[in-house]
Amino acid sequence: MTTREKPILPKTTRRSLLIGVVAGALTPQLAAAGNTSVTDAPESDSVHQRQPFYGEHQPGIVTPRPAAGLVASFDVLAQNRAGLERLFKTLTERTGFLMQGGTPPSLDPKFPAADSGILGPVVTPDNLTITTSLGASLFDEHFGLQAQKPRRLSRMTSFSNDALREEFCHGDLLLQFCSNTPDTNIHALRDIVRNTPDSLLLRWKQEGSVPVRPPSPGKPKESARNFLGFRDGSANPDTTDAELMKQIVWVQPGADEPGWTAGGSYQAVRLIRNFVERWDRTPLQEQQSIIGRNKASGAPFGGATEADVPNYAGDPQGKTTPLDAHIRLANPRTAEAMAHRLLRRPFNYSNGVSKANQMDMGLLFIAYQADLERGFIAVQTRLSGEPLEEYIKPFGGGYFFALPGVRDETDFLGRALLEAAESSSTHS
Amino acid sequence: MKLRSSMAASLVGLSVSLAPAYAAVSPLDLVQPIADYKIYVQGKIDTLVKDTKAFTDAVKSGDLAKAKALYAPARVNYETIEPIAELFSDLDGAIDSRADDHEQKEKSADFYGFHRIEYALFSQNTTDGLGPLADKLNADVLDLQKRVAGLTVPPDKAVDGAAGLLEEVASSKISGEEDRYSHTDLWDFQANIDGAQKIVALVEPLVSKEDPALIKTVNDNFATVDGILAKYKTGDGFETYDKLSNADRKALAGPVTALAEDLSKLKGTLGLN
Repeated sequence: MTTREKPILPKTTRRSLLIGVVAGALTPQLAAAGNTSVTDAPESDSVHQRQPFYGEHQPGIVTPRPAAGLVASFDVLAQNRAGLERLFKTLTERTGFLMQGGTPPSLDPKFPAADSGILGPVVTPDNLTITTSLGASLFDEHFGLQAQKPRRLSRMTSFSNDALREEFCHGDLLLQFCSNTPDTNIHALRDIVRNTPDSLLLRWKQEGSVPVRPPSPGKPKESARNFLGFRDGSANPDTTDAELMKQIVWVQPGADEPGWTAGGSYQAVRLIRNFVERWDRTPLQEQQSIIGRNKASGAPFGGATEADVPNYAGDPQGKTTPLDAHIRLANPRTAEAMAHRLLRRPFNYSNGVSKANQMDMGLLFIAYQADLERGFIAVQTRLSGEPLEEYIKPFGGGYFFALPGVRDETDFLGRALLEAAESSSTHS
Repeated sequence: MKLRSSMAASLVGLSVSLAPAYAAVSPLDLVQPIADYKIYVQGKIDTLVKDTKAFTDAVKSGDLAKAKALYAPARVNYETIEPIAELFSDLDGAIDSRADDHEQKEKSADFYGFHRIEYALFSQNTTDGLGPLADKLNADVLDLQKRVAGLTVPPDKAVDGAAGLLEEVASSKISGEEDRYSHTDLWDFQANIDGAQKIVALVEPLVSKEDPALIKTVNDNFATVDGILAKYKTGDGFETYDKLSNADRKALAGPVTALAEDLSKLKGTLGLN
């Protein structure tokens, strides 16, 4: 363990901290109004937006998706269950602080500072959520958690169009950061990496974003567009419908699962490169046939708005919407298909230039569901061979289980899991 | 396991750890440890000079096998005292820069020193044309010896050297990027750890007075790292880096990162600026 908790405040700090706060409040702005510089920080009140941390479920799943996302996958280095508990408590404490915002402790400047400082001396919440999920590899003999593994959690295997690269796949633990700005996500990631030096080892990370739109009061909401230029998530279930979320997203008490999983959710993460140069050279009507929607409006063929439900029953030959169109394969709108619904929460990623001097960009796909096999795995299997595959190449990601929520100050992430493991090992 | 009861305490954690100040260590207390450190550094450099001569002699005589064998043992001396060697950035670049530090990589005209010779010996499998590079390396380590002899070791640089060595390990040794042609990274890994442990040992009595928990954690983590590296010892050195198992690489990462974090507090604990 580290001695990070070791108090290193000098005697004078408490008082000088208070003085500093007061003095800061009274200091006049040096740059008078009108005296602007190109390097002035962009301003927005949205930095004060805050999401609740405590609850039955973790934040960042049915929470409306903000503009910036980041997933970071880790190997867990903890040596035993006690080390794992310490890690979970640290994650709980740091997540609670970062989502709430506030002033990090001011340490003796002879020591490294407690905070990276990239958001300034006061950490603003900026709509941040941090969601912790666990990979199948955490449930091995190392921590004696085999009996507690969520039944549908497995190591992601290749689909027919995948070209998985090990350095972008899997992990014992995944953190999903979502907030209004990439800087807030990076600040949170650095805080957590800093606070877990001996228990987490970063495997891979991927940042993403979605385009921001102006408010349009009185008009229906629109899904954000992906890097193919299409609305992404049009058929997503209504997250304000709690009963629907119980069916689609949250593992229910009494399900065919270890009891501790209730309130959690299976998470599928996929890094999917889009061949955007080739896509941009594809005729519009062909793009629309491949996806199954009108590009500008997002409406299904034969519909007028994005929210319209396509009538596949009246189009058995695929004359209106091709049978192999992406949205038709993904959700055939049959009674059977209702069992395979999932909640998409994707971001777009852009990573520089490929070896072939093409843009490396695409989709940071994230989906949540109560049953991974009936959800993502079934849907992706149905999509195998779709015409869109010419333009996309999944290369990374993994399957994880998002822990149930932290209910209050006495609770912590993973508590129910550890308690279940503890009681089963004492009783067996 | 009592999970709930310990929670309230843990939630406060870092954010509210208000506590009394450290009693400042007197600068005089550091005089002896720093003097001892300089003796240690000079001893290592004397060995470096001698071993580098033997190495470059083998290179110049065209004895490829011998030159390969003497490469890793010669440079470990440099790796143990890198915090001091790095005070002379011109020499550090000349002696220990890697191809990555140069725009044209291995082809760069200003790429010389240990790694340039390593590239020829292990990647090109030849000693041809290495004479001038061997002479320059010899001259540079002799220059280093001379400059260190005249150096007043700054206490903050010496103490912070422990953290610096661990940052070296964390950023390049653990990935096997240091000795990419010879794969003798574990020699350097151990040398960095040894050099950091020497510094910690010299200031341990002072740090113990201020923060005994820090010293215990640091020493425990050093022991863990030494234990894992010991599995890869051979008669006269270490296995090549590719023999390091993925499990051990991960097992090293935790204590190495924790050491980097903890040793970053060493200077402050001793009241050094």
